[in-house]
Amino acid sequence: MDVFLQAIALMFQWQNLAALMGGALYGIIIGILPGLGPAAGMALAIPLVSSWSPVTALVFVGSLYKCCNYGGSITAILVNTPGDASNAATILDGYPMCEKGKGGVALSISATAALVGGILGTLCLIYTAPLLAEFALKFGPAEYFLTAILALSVIAAVVQGATLKGLISAGLGLILATVGYDVITGHLRYTFGILILEDGIPVIQAVVGLFAVTQALVLAESMESISRIGKLEGSSWEGVWTYFKYPYAVIRSAVIGLFIGVLPGVGQSGAGLVAWAEAKRESKHPGTFGTGDPEGVISSETSTNACMPGDLVLTIALGIPGSVAAAVFLGIMIIFGVIPGPMVFAEKTNEIYTLFVALILSSLVLFLVGMTLARYLAAVTLIRNEIIVPIILIVGLIGSYAIRNMMEDVMISLVFGILGYVMLKGGFTTVPLLLGLVLGEMVELNYHRALLMSAGSYSIFYSSTVCKILILLTIVSLAGPYLGSLGRRMKGRGKLIGKA
Amino acid sequence: MLEKLKRTEVWFKLVLLAFFGFWYARAFSFPQQSRQFPHLIAVPSLILTLISLITDFTKEKEVQGEIAGTDDSELTTLDESARKERRKRFWQAWAIILVSMAVGFLGGFLFSAFFLLLGFALLFGNRNNLIKNMILTVGITMATYVTFQWFMDVPLLRGVLW
Repeated sequence: MDVFLQAIALMFQWQNLAALMGGALYGIIIGILPGLGPAAGMALAIPLVSSWSPVTALVFVGSLYKCCNYGGSITAILVNTPGDASNAATILDGYPMCEKGKGGVALSISATAALVGGILGTLCLIYTAPLLAEFALKFGPAEYFLTAILALSVIAAVVQGATLKGLISAGLGLILATVGYDVITGHLRYTFGILILEDGIPVIQAVVGLFAVTQALVLAESMESISRIGKLEGSSWEGVWTYFKYPYAVIRSAVIGLFIGVLPGVGQSGAGLVAWAEAKRESKHPGTFGTGDPEGVISSETSTNACMPGDLVLTIALGIPGSVAAAVFLGIMIIFGVIPGPMVFAEKTNEIYTLFVALILSSLVLFLVGMTLARYLAAVTLIRNEIIVPIILIVGLIGSYAIRNMMEDVMISLVFGILGYVMLKGGFTTVPLLLGLVLGEMVELNYHRALLMSAGSYSIFYSSTVCKILILLTIVSLAGPYLGSLGRRMKGRGKLIGKA
Repeated sequence: MLEKLKRTEVWFKLVLLAFFGFWYARAFSFPQQSRQFPHLIAVPSLILTLISLITDFTKEKEVQGEIAGTDDSELTTLDESARKERRKRFWQAWAIILVSMAVGFLGGFLFSAFFLLLGFALLFGNRNNLIKNMILTVGITMATYVTFQWFMDVPLLRGVLW
């Protein structure tokens, strides 16, 4: 308790409070720009914080890391473009809410989720870090491979209501992830002599294309403003009340987010989508998901916000980063002499516990900023199309361009824009494709590692209890929609026979 | 049969079939370990696409699934003139994007931003709002320059010409 009181006192020093606010605002702005996620944001901040004290620097970077997700959810909700892959699930219900004029409500739900999910996640991080880290260590390559396959199956089966198309979309994502150097042999695959493809298809450029460019084309075609009813409905506080109407969804999503956050590699994009899919599966009205159901936004946002502290569990406790952003965070910790590991809690008490307090406070800052700005930000959905379409394109494509300062990256986004548009017209959803692209390398790496460990025997994929549970869950998730419709059909037939 | 082939969904699946097949065949030129994973993914994807395609042709009535976040223009009946108008706007948008990107290659991304705004204002905007749109075009271009070039050091004026 003493260490916490000391950390709180340290946090309330003016320079740390300023770092907290600055990090929060910087994080929101970085999150809003498609392409610049927390990893890029933190990397860009290194020169700025390098001369600061370790505590202040970690407060700034921690706050930035926490707030990036909210920035990304703003664009996901308002213009159907996730700022980062982690916000992919938010668009499923967030954007349809905007079309109904409820953009402000969706944004305040997202702000409340940042507060609740962030605090729940951080508290769990503080109290369960050692336990969770120990459990995650039991996962071998086979378990990671199967976890990723489960995540893809759940998304493919539930996200669209058409399992087959979802699986094809996920397959396309995994296939595209094989472009570039093979992670095991180093052999070049499917680059066709194009230099920029050697490192693989860049995910951010693909995200910009699949969501921003596609959305711009759809808006240009229809010439309607994003809010189809042409006005805003509902107050910011309505979002807060709505959020607390679903306590079960909140707790379930926070647990999913935290658990997935602890597993290296799956990350926030997986957390949001799995929580959304679970909420749909558990719901009494699954048909409303994907059409602007607030529970969809609540689930995905709570999960991604709880995932971020989970992501830091292994990073801080064992020095194993769970994602690219966590790896950058780990690097910054090392720069400031805070060496992660079991001893860090004893050796760097002030730095670590002040970081925890900063994560909780940044959730509060996010909530206040979000609630203040929600109504004004939602007005974006009323802007005329001839203005909003080029703005979406400029902000999206500049995100693509800024990563390597190459116009070729913009071209990649445009190609993915065409793909996204055609998929949309064909009734496919691009979300499983994105998840496949994000998880592809991790899936392949763990597949090969597992086979190396078992000397080529496939029995490794079903020998452990965890593997068996994961396989069972995958089968259930894929068969679930078919069994559900079969049950409904049989029920309907029973009623008809009864009437006859 | 021919009617069904005209649907985006059907021809996209045909393209996917060819794509997965090509991906599978191409993998044979890689070392054994490098082709294992592409084969592992391409085969089930190919089979699933084939099943989906066969279902499209065998099902008499089109089942309209609940499609999250998709534009339902192909699932609802649009009259021919509305369809033509949409198609025209789609191609106009692409023309603006391509011209802007070509200009960007030559002079830098800032020119792309300017031409995107200008193109949409001229081709999509209401004539009554022309002056307002022009002011916005210049204003947003300047804001883009200040935000990204000044504050974030993104080289917006780097093109083939300079």
